[in-house]
Amino acid sequence: MDTVACCWRDGEVLHESQLGLSPQGRPLHATRLLEEVERAAASGGGWEEVDMLAVGLGPGTFTGLRVGISTARGLALSLGLPARGVCTLDALAVGIAEAGAEGERLAVLDGWRGDVFAALYSPDGERIWEPAVYRPGDLAERVAALDRAPAVAGSGAVRFRQELARDGVRIADDSDPVHRVAGRHVCALAAESTEEDPDGLAPIYLRPPDAERWRERDASQRAE
Amino acid sequence: MLLAIETSCDDTCAAVLDGPRILSNVISSQAKAHEGFGGVVPEVAARHHLELATPVVEAALAEAGMTLDDVEAVAATAGPGLIGALLVGISTAKGIAAARRLPLIPVDHLQGHVAANFLEPEPLEPPFLCLIASGGHTLLAGVRDHEGFELLGQTLDDAAGEAFDKSARLLGLGYPGGPAIQREAEGGDPEAFEMPVAMSRNPGLDFSFSGLKTAVLYRCRELGPEGVEERKADVAASFQAAVVGQLTAKLKRALKVGEWDAVALGGGVAANGPLREAVGKLCEEMGVQLKLVPISLCTDNAAMIGSAARYAKPIPYPDYLGYDAFASGESATPAVAH
Ligand SMILES: [Zn+2]
Repeated sequence: MDTVACCWRDGEVLHESQLGLSPQGRPLHATRLLEEVERAAASGGGWEEVDMLAVGLGPGTFTGLRVGISTARGLALSLGLPARGVCTLDALAVGIAEAGAEGERLAVLDGWRGDVFAALYSPDGERIWEPAVYRPGDLAERVAALDRAPAVAGSGAVRFRQELARDGVRIADDSDPVHRVAGRHVCALAAESTEEDPDGLAPIYLRPPDAERWRERDASQRAE
Repeated sequence: MLLAIETSCDDTCAAVLDGPRILSNVISSQAKAHEGFGGVVPEVAARHHLELATPVVEAALAEAGMTLDDVEAVAATAGPGLIGALLVGISTAKGIAAARRLPLIPVDHLQGHVAANFLEPEPLEPPFLCLIASGGHTLLAGVRDHEGFELLGQTLDDAAGEAFDKSARLLGLGYPGGPAIQREAEGGDPEAFEMPVAMSRNPGLDFSFSGLKTAVLYRCRELGPEGVEERKADVAASFQAAVVGQLTAKLKRALKVGEWDAVALGGGVAANGPLREAVGKLCEEMGVQLKLVPISLCTDNAAMIGSAARYAKPIPYPDYLGYDAFASGESATPAVAH
């Protein structure tokens, strides 16, 4: 939902911006992302100084992911730079640790349609639950079954605070920056990663297109 | 050298042009991906464009024997089309252009279909009358210069190609409907079934195809599943003849009122053999020149976008960083017949 850009050099943040929604409540991906990316590059001394592009792969809004990834691919192709993708939930979890969480961390993004995207991380940052779509109530139940309440944050935690904040789960105030994905964490994870990305920045949708679900539903109705 | 990208519907396209000369024109069709839905599904299309956009650009550069160092401007379809699909093309184009401080040239998709006729070899010079018919649009364009066209008539409901797709689905002929119906109709009698002669009493130049689709639906109901199986070729031939009849009737009327010397065809439906034949006959009768571009330039492609870009206004860096695509005709549900 947010539009985020950052310039990062060996752990030092040279520029970071984070745009929310337009005054009309629309995401600013298409209209503001490239401008922010250009500003970030300039802060590092221009594109000649940039060694790698880091890109959030989602989960997120389908359109937002596509604008981000196609912009990054266009830039990477044009500049002859490598681009490395980062799971947005992973980046959010780094922010939860940075905010002082010591135990397990649950990163929760709003998935709209009443759903959330979530993944659980160990204190040392290993994924315990892979990214998946949950009904908020189902996620709350799964969290309640854990031995110890994790630190929970993200746009999904804000939206479904009532469902999730129980059994010892504490969620920071809505305005706390811990709930937003920061560009510096996307950069840090990309810099750390040694994995080659064989799919070349494949988006993490977590949900099939609606039409596919309708087709499956139609097929199962016919089979009945 | 100009790099052009087109992603307005279900084909991911890139081309490299040197003036009016095509150096490469790469089209990656997604027809297979949409086959099971009987029509283009916006979200499915957008996902495929994302996968294919940069590989198709790389393929177009390689085929032209060029690198991005040779490219002086980047053109991309701005609309009309499916917004999710357009955004992938525009974002890719903006990224490529911005990194090199190149100008960006947003192009109107329909002007692209018109501009396909300006390409070498044998470019057609305005003025001419252009009939554009595809799955997304059906219109008559009066072309008097290279920069734009006058909309003389357009469909009031379905596009011609949409009628082909929906009727093919009713007949169980698969997707895309145009080639499927043409193939089936070859063995059929075009006069076997009476089809409504839509818009014949309408003195204007607008089209309507939804009545034809409904007529096919009723014929199928009357015939029943076995009857449809038996008479498929006749229904397909009758339907096709009615579409071709309406398109040529309106073209004839436009030629009579407008004193045009030349006619051009564009859009996927312009690949239809019987339509090409009928329009050829009409032009001979009326004594006007007929320009038929190759089928690869009729269906959506990026060479036509590059051609239109030559006459469109480039936006210099950095003025286009916030440039957004414009959408039209996108529906939340898949474009299939029920
Ligand atoms: Zn078209």
